[in-house]
Amino acid sequence: MPKFFLTFAASLLILFTLELLKPVQQYLIQPFTGGLASLSTTIIEPFDANVISHGRVIRDSASGFAVSIEAGCNGVEATIVLIAAVLAFPATWRHKLIAIVAGFLAIQALNIARIISLFYLGQWNFSIFEWTHLYLWPVLIMLDVLMVFAIYLRWLTIPNATQRNPEQVENG
Amino acid sequence: MGSAGFKQQLLLALVLLPITFALWYASAQLLVAPASLVSDWILRFWLSDLVTSSGLSGTTFVVETSLGSMNGAIVPAKTAGNVITFEIDTNLVSYSLPFYTALLWASRVDRQLDKFLFGLVTIWCLMAIGVTAMIAKEMMFAIPDAFASAAGRPSPHIVALSYQFNVLLMPTLSPVALWLYQLRGSPLWDELSRRLDEASNTRFD
Repeated sequence: MPKFFLTFAASLLILFTLELLKPVQQYLIQPFTGGLASLSTTIIEPFDANVISHGRVIRDSASGFAVSIEAGCNGVEATIVLIAAVLAFPATWRHKLIAIVAGFLAIQALNIARIISLFYLGQWNFSIFEWTHLYLWPVLIMLDVLMVFAIYLRWLTIPNATQRNPEQVENG
Repeated sequence: MGSAGFKQQLLLALVLLPITFALWYASAQLLVAPASLVSDWILRFWLSDLVTSSGLSGTTFVVETSLGSMNGAIVPAKTAGNVITFEIDTNLVSYSLPFYTALLWASRVDRQLDKFLFGLVTIWCLMAIGVTAMIAKEMMFAIPDAFASAAGRPSPHIVALSYQFNVLLMPTLSPVALWLYQLRGSPLWDELSRRLDEASNTRFD
């Protein structure tokens, strides 16, 4: 356990420092964040023709309400926590890579749901928008990270369990 | 138990979140008061030249400086006739409390109250660091020269990393870390620990 926590903390620190580097922000984080805005708009457009996006901003052309996806809202921090946990837990590199890719997709799927929900909550009630944006959604995203990691642990142990005792797995 | 139990506890925590968030919202000022006292102490110790007073107003942490603004220049408050103040929304870090409470309440652990009190004190300390990191970031942008000389010229990268880590990450990560730490001795912890040991002893090619 201590080795897991030390590797986790070290990976976290390294990845967070890397994320703050100017070239990483310029060539990776900001284009990615802009992509999230475009993707959210693409998902909303079939249901709401008034939605437009430019850069990191999603705007309702009818009401003028807009949300800008900023640092801390793009799911990158949550993804970093997941990557650090996956790297710290002993497994093959293939397993780790699959977990990181699948986890990234799971986190971003929920994050897009978050962005879209906030876009409409903001038009409905700004106080509720702020409350959910600043306090509730970050917790739900972290629970998503934990859930993905729990599923990963389960997935990791299934082949091992099958090799050790097939009956136990069938009954379990 | 194992990761199936892990998932069940997470789902129960999700169910408990509306309750813990409602309790937190109703008593936020009271819950953040100890952390604000620690922040006040840190600021007075670290930025004694710059900070004249700090404290809570509702859930807003207000810092008054010895500086004011005159014709766009930063000058001593007495010269300017006004005081530059900084206001920080403490809820930005204190929402870790309802998250931690939901995780702990969803778990079957011994001496839950003792563990909760230990967690509360730990989170208060982390909240105080988070509030201080927010103040440092605000000051770095609003009064950069005065802040740099008063705070011993910290690198902007250190301030940015501290903000990123203590404000954007810790409010959601610290409850999880505390919760995992406090699971020690529980059947779920034993199972997770066994799996980690098994994985550690396996050679991965």
